[in-house]
Amino acid sequence: MISFASIPWILFGIVAFVVLLCILAYQNLKLRHRTAQLSEELTREETEEEQLALKIWLSKKQLETTFDALSDRICVIDTDFTILRVNKAYADEVGRRIRTILGKKCHLVFFNRKSACDNCPALETHSMIQAVKERPFSKSADGEERSFTISAYPVCDEKGTVVNIIEHIRDVTEEKRMNEQLIRSEKLAGIGILTAGIAHEINNPLSGIAGTAENMLSMHDKYGLNDKGRERITTILECSQRASAIMRDLLRLSQKQEVVRQQADIKSLLHKAAAHLQPIGLDGFAIEFHVEEDLPRMRCDPSKIEQALVNVVKNAAQAIADQRKKTRREKIDYSGVLCLAARRVENEMIIEVVDNGVGIPPEAESQIFDPFYTTRPPGKGTGLGLSICYRIIEEHQGQISVVTRKGVTTATIVLPISKDPLTDIGARITTRGGGDEKV
Amino acid sequence: MKKYKILVVDDESLIRTMLCDYLEVAYTVSSAENGMDALALCTRERFDLVISDINMPGMKGPKLLHEIKKQYPETKIMLITAYNVDDYIRVAKEYGITNIIPKTVPFNYDELGVVIDGLLTENIFGIERYLLADQRIERTYCIKSSEEAKTVRENVTQLIAAKFGSSGDVKLIMDEMITNAIYHAPTNENGIKKYEEYMPVQLEPSEYVYVSYGFDSEKYGIAVIDNQGRLKKETVLYKIDRHLRGEGMLDDSGRGIHMSRLFADRLIINIHPHAKTEVIFMNYFLNKYSGYKPLCINEI
Repeated sequence: MISFASIPWILFGIVAFVVLLCILAYQNLKLRHRTAQLSEELTREETEEEQLALKIWLSKKQLETTFDALSDRICVIDTDFTILRVNKAYADEVGRRIRTILGKKCHLVFFNRKSACDNCPALETHSMIQAVKERPFSKSADGEERSFTISAYPVCDEKGTVVNIIEHIRDVTEEKRMNEQLIRSEKLAGIGILTAGIAHEINNPLSGIAGTAENMLSMHDKYGLNDKGRERITTILECSQRASAIMRDLLRLSQKQEVVRQQADIKSLLHKAAAHLQPIGLDGFAIEFHVEEDLPRMRCDPSKIEQALVNVVKNAAQAIADQRKKTRREKIDYSGVLCLAARRVENEMIIEVVDNGVGIPPEAESQIFDPFYTTRPPGKGTGLGLSICYRIIEEHQGQISVVTRKGVTTATIVLPISKDPLTDIGARITTRGGGDEKV
Repeated sequence: MKKYKILVVDDESLIRTMLCDYLEVAYTVSSAENGMDALALCTRERFDLVISDINMPGMKGPKLLHEIKKQYPETKIMLITAYNVDDYIRVAKEYGITNIIPKTVPFNYDELGVVIDGLLTENIFGIERYLLADQRIERTYCIKSSEEAKTVRENVTQLIAAKFGSSGDVKLIMDEMITNAIYHAPTNENGIKKYEEYMPVQLEPSEYVYVSYGFDSEKYGIAVIDNQGRLKKETVLYKIDRHLRGEGMLDDSGRGIHMSRLFADRLIINIHPHAKTEVIFMNYFLNKYSGYKPLCINEI
């Protein structure tokens, strides 16, 4: 039996037990709350990290897209020329997939060279620890000479040591070509001003010389001229004619040029140009015409375009004649072919005159449109033919180029096909090369 | 036969002597080296023709000729120049000078000779006058309708293409010239054009258009003649001048003359008012004469 004396102890025990339970429960609750708090905090931290990662990913993507969107070629290399990264333009340029490029040497990939290029900008950047800008390079791809500028920028670690180098490669082929064109135009304009100033002053005495020589030949008795004298006078007349031909061509370059536009058929202009060859003894080779069917008539100054075509076609025929002479000397089989082609590509008329004649040496390619550049002996051409062509095509807002590749020379004339009604018959575009003096 | 007297004025002595040497064969020739000397000579003797250079120190050619024409209306005048004739159309119009011969290399004596003879004898018509002695007149057509005009144009173009390889812009020029002769020349009593352009036309018995085609050893030429004589030299000068200055671009008329002059090596216009208009254009086979194109309008 339980004694009454023990009852309070039991009661106390029960109360203490209950209190203990309560404390435990409270602690438990508190702990739970804390855990919940903690886990909540943890989750929050996790989201932030994710967001950060997302940000980094996005920024990387942005950079990559920017990197790839650039038309300039960009390449990141280490200090040993090993490619770490390239952009899409770079890969396109070298015609390979990005991942096949990584890890390769840049000089091998871009220039197909086993060792670093001479005057390599990356090398200099590495040693100088500063950017090296726009160093000119060139390479030929598919028989086409292309020009680049390469700049190199150093990427340093925290100690300031160069670890990576960024190469920025720009294709400046077109830019260079435009620049050359500009210089050429300015050169022509300069010659124009000079010529306009002196041509007339020279024409006057020249026609006096020629006219007097003609008189002396037609009325030789009156001048007491014997056969030897007549021979010499004939030479004088011929020389004055030669001088006059140069003046005429120069004036053609300098005069205010009128472009009288009318509808013209390129096919018949090509045939007309080819018809000029035989009378001047340039024949004995095959002439092929490759003129696209349904070629539209186009607005141009037909007599001027014909003149330009005659010049180009004559050059081609002369190149064939020269080649024939050369091969005959060296006893090699040769048969000349002159090919005249015209086709339409979108809004442009493309005319090509192709020959397998002697060709233009690469170093002369940039000079052939220069006034007085000639490979012919004195008296056989003024060296102004292609300059005049250039001028004519320029007046028509077109382009002309001549290149020799693998023994085949192609002169390409590109003319815009205009649909502007204002350029109708009689409409004229007047350009002034020099002064036009008036009394 | 009376020998015509010609005065040659040029500051370049070589040109003076050269012209004198050539002209002496057929004419009595004097020369002067500037305008004042020329005027002084004119007071002493009467010249049938004065040929003057344009650009001389002191008095310029056009001014001199204008002065001479004022004092001696019977004297014929012409200009020669080494400069671009087109630059002087304005001056020519102002002073009423219609013949300007360029100094070409070699000098084109035949051309000079024909113009001088035309001025002195007033015998200007006929394509045979403008071709050399070895000429051949290949065809002469009489056109009575617009239909015939088309056939003649085709014919001549084909003949030239067959003979010389290229017919150049012959068709275009003929088109312009014949259109002028058929549609622009005939008028009724009130001076109103009788026929509308592009419409089929049958000319009346009193109206005709002649076309001749011939060549010599250096060039070929085509003459288009109508018997109306309505074209005036002033009109021609006005039109050419306007077009050269780029103002006539949108004009309905006059473009033909300018274009023909631009495309052909030579364009000669001969006028007998109310009787006959003859337009001759010629192309040289080779670029034999380097220099500018002349201005050649004759009116009797």
